[in-house]
Amino acid sequence: MIKITKEDFNLEEEFKKIHSKKNGAYSFFLGTVRQDIDDNINGIFLECYEDLACNQLNKIKKDSTQKWNLSDCTIIHRIGDLKISEKIVLVITAAPHRSDCIEACEYIIDTLKANVALWKFHIKGKEKEPVNQKKKDLDKYLSWSQVIS
Amino acid sequence: MKITIKYFSWVRVKIQKSHELFEFSDEMTFLNLKNELINKNSFFDEIFKDRSIKFFLNLKEITDENISLNDGDEIALLPPVTGG
Repeated sequence: MIKITKEDFNLEEEFKKIHSKKNGAYSFFLGTVRQDIDDNINGIFLECYEDLACNQLNKIKKDSTQKWNLSDCTIIHRIGDLKISEKIVLVITAAPHRSDCIEACEYIIDTLKANVALWKFHIKGKEKEPVNQKKKDLDKYLSWSQVIS
Repeated sequence: MKITIKYFSWVRVKIQKSHELFEFSDEMTFLNLKNELINKNSFFDEIFKDRSIKFFLNLKEITDENISLNDGDEIALLPPVTGG
């Protein structure tokens, strides 16, 4: 399942949706809004080009399912205003064996961070400041190019 | 011919709108469109010189600036993404 939403999600409910007897392993990644010590923010705002982001997420899901033989995959990304500690993104991968779903989960979040039409802003008082892309995020994404071509 | 341009992230903040509808009398390529936009607003000169910005036509990345545009097309200006 691919979902871009303003609504919060429940981890247990999402696990129940993907759970199946044929799976022996699940891997989870949950991203939340961090309180940076040197960055006095009240929260974040997430902007999205939804039509494009859905296409991009579906391609990531398709590529990872083929490469790691996943039986299923969930990607949920929140948009809009989010407070400190709120959930931002959830990735769940399911497969018969653990190594496949762990590696696929890492690939999905690394690719999402560098290649899906979503933009983060720091909320500081009434201001919303665009966050710059981090080089380490781009490098992580590029490092997968030898694994998935 | 009507073309919608969509703006995101710092580009949207700087131009103070999320999208804009432009009308042109002649058929054109993306390259023609770039020149037309630069003539209308010097802000676009900065945008088109910024190599980190990607351009999408109807949800597909533009790889050939000589691609022809059609009435109703949607072009998006995408700064580097920062989701997750």
